[in-house]
Amino acid sequence: MDILIASTLDAFRLLFSGDTEIWEIIAISFRVSSLAILLAIPPALIIAFVLAYGNFFGRRFIISLFSTFLSIPAVVIGLTLFIVLSRQGPMGNMGLLFTQTAMIMGQFLLSLPILIAMAHTSFQASDRRAWETARTLGANRLYAFFTVVYEIRFGLMAAMLAAYGRIISEVGASMMLGGNIAHYTRNIPTAIALETSKGNFAEGIALGAVLLFLAFILNALLHHVQGKGSINP
Amino acid sequence: MIDNFHFSFHGICKHYRRKSILNDVSITIGNSDCYIITGENGAGKTTLMRILAGIEKPDSANIRINDGAALSWRSCRSRLSQSLMYLHQQPYMLAGSLRRNLEFTAKLNPAIIDRVAAVEQVLQWARLEALESQQAVSLSGGQQQRVALARARLRNPQILLLDEPTANLDIDGRDRTLIMLKAFLKSGTAVVIATHDPSIFTNLKGHGLHIEDQKLRDKSITPSRVLDISDYQKSRGI
Repeated sequence: MDILIASTLDAFRLLFSGDTEIWEIIAISFRVSSLAILLAIPPALIIAFVLAYGNFFGRRFIISLFSTFLSIPAVVIGLTLFIVLSRQGPMGNMGLLFTQTAMIMGQFLLSLPILIAMAHTSFQASDRRAWETARTLGANRLYAFFTVVYEIRFGLMAAMLAAYGRIISEVGASMMLGGNIAHYTRNIPTAIALETSKGNFAEGIALGAVLLFLAFILNALLHHVQGKGSINP
Repeated sequence: MIDNFHFSFHGICKHYRRKSILNDVSITIGNSDCYIITGENGAGKTTLMRILAGIEKPDSANIRINDGAALSWRSCRSRLSQSLMYLHQQPYMLAGSLRRNLEFTAKLNPAIIDRVAAVEQVLQWARLEALESQQAVSLSGGQQQRVALARARLRNPQILLLDEPTANLDIDGRDRTLIMLKAFLKSGTAVVIATHDPSIFTNLKGHGLHIEDQKLRDKSITPSRVLDISDYQKSRGI
């Protein structure tokens, strides 16, 4: 018990003393995950919209496929991309393995199924009259799409926050694709794994506290957003 | 005023799950035409309106616009979306205030140069000035119907298609709707109304049509309660 209290106190000391290494790891984490989610949102929204509003052969199969991808382990994504990006792989000549770009690619693929599945549910539950009204008021397809997106923005924000929460805390893909290189690809989850294996609990707890705080912020945001979309705001 | 136009729809057929809804239906709509379409529940009134508006795909249909060549529904779809406007039985209110709903519409009409003035004008026309900052979804059914008609005014379509526009409205709401529809007809817009109760619309002097056995047939409209618009306007100070 003493070791936990001592390590926790050390962790907060590290955080608030402005330890550059710790804050650098936090910055890398946010940079990589934010870029990954920003890149994933546009295609995910378009795919989710087409799956919800479209009527074509294989639609149900694709929906089932993305639902299956929801439970895909991060290490499997990491492994697949590792093979693709390694020297013998089809994209090996690009030299992307053990870079932040590779981590972004991994997190992009991880966030995509969550975004698509949750956004699809939101689009599916949306009132079709929103699309028809926008079209009948003179909006072109793109403008009508953005109108529907705005109408269901609370559900979509929940999808984005859930996806962001998943990718910023995943360790498998980041470890395999980034290689946990100090000052470059070491992010919060990989650093926690490393520091814990070294018996350096204070740094692990400090970074864990950041993740916990982030989880709290994301959940608070989620409830705030969902509250705004409620029937009785 | 709306420029002269006429849309001729021929051979409209539609079926759902092996059940034929519309079979070889034809209708021609021109300036200031007013059609009152009746029919049993599920007869195909809404389906017909949605096909005309370019929202729902028919099995087959030929369309002639202003004596042009007969074209398929698919090739005319964007033109139909531009020229015809369909109003749902329960109008959909976009998120935000009533004013935002009108500004949204004004922004989409390139013919409107002064958007602020246009929005103010329709707010007055629909007598919605006092409600402009209210959330549109919180308005009553009658008020939402007026917002939908105000949006239509800004959109200025050649043909306005209304699905049960007076359903769930009180007498005052109905009368206001009728006055607004008269204004559309006067400006050259054609009005097509699907309804269960055609007698409400006798004052519009519309042409009665009835959908039965998947066909559209002429049917006269008998008034049950004639609205004297001038009396109504006097009593309301309009």
